[in-house]
Amino acid sequence: MRAEALKGHLDGLILATLKDGPAHGYAIAQALRARSDGAFDLPEGTLYPALHRLERAGLVSSVWSTEAGRRRRTYSLTRSGGRTLDERRSEWRLLSSAIESVLA
Amino acid sequence: MSWIGEFEEELRRRGVRAATRRRLLDEFSDHIACEQEVRIELTRLGAAREIAGQYAEELATDETRHAALGGFAALALAAIALLVSQAGLGRIGYPGFNHGTTTPLAVIAILAMVVGSQLALVAGTLAAWRALRRRREPTLPSAEIALIQRRTRLGIAAGLTTTAGILLYVVNFVNVLPAWWLALSGALAALASGALVAAWRTNARSAATVSLAPGPAGDVFDDLPPLRALRAHPLRLVTLATLTVGAAMTVVVWHAEHSLIEGLERGGFEALALAACFALFGRAIGARR
Repeated sequence: MRAEALKGHLDGLILATLKDGPAHGYAIAQALRARSDGAFDLPEGTLYPALHRLERAGLVSSVWSTEAGRRRRTYSLTRSGGRTLDERRSEWRLLSSAIESVLA
Repeated sequence: MSWIGEFEEELRRRGVRAATRRRLLDEFSDHIACEQEVRIELTRLGAAREIAGQYAEELATDETRHAALGGFAALALAAIALLVSQAGLGRIGYPGFNHGTTTPLAVIAILAMVVGSQLALVAGTLAAWRALRRRREPTLPSAEIALIQRRTRLGIAAGLTTTAGILLYVVNFVNVLPAWWLALSGALAALASGALVAAWRTNARSAATVSLAPGPAGDVFDDLPPLRALRAHPLRLVTLATLTVGAAMTVVVWHAEHSLIEGLERGGFEALALAACFALFGRAIGARR
């Protein structure tokens, strides 16, 4: 699936991935690919602008750690991020059901 | 050049600050190292310049909106300083122009307060309003970002003119007005000035991040839909605004001072000031092309 098709949904997908627990950028990219059976093959670099945007909005928080001598930034869902994820899920269910009824 | 090298160069070219660059580079270095550990030969990161550009555009958009809202909050402090000082003067009675240290200083202070406060109100409100209206968009066109930054800059500069006017007034009438009024007005004006200087710096920092996102800037008619019919006729807009403000001020002063002549003088001054500000700053705030 092309990155363009995911436009507008990437933030929600990242929040959903972090619902399972804290993760760093690479792990989030792998989780997205695995959970979509490889359908979400977006340029992984685009995750970082999105993660920083979500952090500025207070939806995720992050901390540094050191892994094999490398600095690693690990992201977690905040309470506000959890609420936003619930809203996104409800919106998506409404939208997908409406599209399904038109396309079917 | 390596992916990381190209990425860093583009971030630098786009004016992304050193601390933010460092953080991004550390994150991407970790990402690339993870990929190498699992032996994926081709990096899935995407084009370095594109991602750096996307980051800069989002950052510029976010910082600009933040600066506009911060500027508005600082202007609210300036408005409180002006209202408290004027309410105090209303209770103790306005001193005559020529009762202070020098008459020219009194005139300059009053002009700064009257013109500065109105310009700050218009420019600062338009900046904050546009930032709020477009708060959900991750990236705004660079022309739109520049418009919000210009409005914020003008609003803050006008706010500083207002607080400078209050401080000049305090200095000019230091031997005439009561100590409590001088201390309260001076302290509030100084506090608001500090907040405005901080807001100015935030806005200047946001302008340092370069966005190249295409697209047009909006104008004041997007912000105020009832005025859209006047978009093609900016002269009609300024005439309407000038007449409305001039007439309103004439009636208010006529009623307050029981003098039609004084009302006409003040109304005429306000109308002229508004027309002059439109000519000088109309383009900067998107009121005319």
